[in-house]
Amino acid sequence: MTDVWIGLFSGIAFGFVIQRVGATNPQKMVLAHLMKERYIPQFMLLVVIFSAIGLFALEASGGGTTRVLPTSLVATGLGGVVFGIGWGLTGYCPGTCWAAVGEGRMDAIFALLGGLVGAAAFAHLHETLIPALYVPTSYGQLTLVDWFNDPGVALGFLIILFGGAILLIGRFWGEQA
Amino acid sequence: MSHSNRPYWPILPSAIALAGIMVFIFASFGPPASSSGFVTTLKGFLLQVSPEYAQSKAHYQMMPGPGSWLMAFVLGMATGGFVAGRSFGQPVRDMPQAWEARYGPSQMKRYTTTFVGGFLILFGARLAGGCTLGLFLSGSTQLAVSGLYFGAVIFSVAMLTARIVYKNRSQPHD
Repeated sequence: MTDVWIGLFSGIAFGFVIQRVGATNPQKMVLAHLMKERYIPQFMLLVVIFSAIGLFALEASGGGTTRVLPTSLVATGLGGVVFGIGWGLTGYCPGTCWAAVGEGRMDAIFALLGGLVGAAAFAHLHETLIPALYVPTSYGQLTLVDWFNDPGVALGFLIILFGGAILLIGRFWGEQA
Repeated sequence: MSHSNRPYWPILPSAIALAGIMVFIFASFGPPASSSGFVTTLKGFLLQVSPEYAQSKAHYQMMPGPGSWLMAFVLGMATGGFVAGRSFGQPVRDMPQAWEARYGPSQMKRYTTTFVGGFLILFGARLAGGCTLGLFLSGSTQLAVSGLYFGAVIFSVAMLTARIVYKNRSQPHD
């Protein structure tokens, strides 16, 4: 039961912040995809940088539960392509869609309903698609630490990669808020 | 990086706040995820309507049902969005201006599109194993290659899709 309260609290805090920064507004998301709005993509990358540092410290002090999802060349990539089409089309992703429904956006309600049908369709085909697409090209729970052999160096690489991306977005994306 | 994101919060403090929430979730539960919340919701529904079906499918077996952290988290997201939206002082729109400028004010058209888009988003997320949060944000935070790979693909494809769907002159936002 404690889990439920912690989950509820975490969700409320999460939903509140993403609304306040504008991530639940599909207009901002669409403009971000059109390279006219830099704030949302920069925000996402900044979140990763800070939470990666935070998780690094948390793990160093012996806390935290992690679960790395496997990298499947075909399933992760193809899933990303299908996901990206839907994201570009609507300006919503699964998380922002729940918060946008709470905010009262009608188009988000339809995205949520479509999402439930999409998840049901995939769940129905799981037994066929996972062995066909996911398993054969899976590299397992690969992380940057496997490449750099040192967690500190791997974290540094991530920060440089995402920091560089933030600067590039600042250079090429517009400033429409 | 500019800090002006008005009328919304500036991104730097917001990112620190959200990262704090992320780290709290890693400390108190594990990697946060939201597309899994759709499966959890469905599982709860199907366990009522057709328990045999729900129990026979691997995708529902691997997810917790209602009464779990995941279910509470997505409902919390909606609650947080509600509280934030109500106290924001700006009316919400039922469709983005960029959409309306391109396809007109027909609600039917926009809602049909977001329904189809929602289908694709969740189908893709379940195939990949997660979404923007569960795979890209959580994964990259854990330095997972899957998160970085998924992030690169979804941003590129979404940018390409938006270019085709919304090809239009620049639009102000609400």
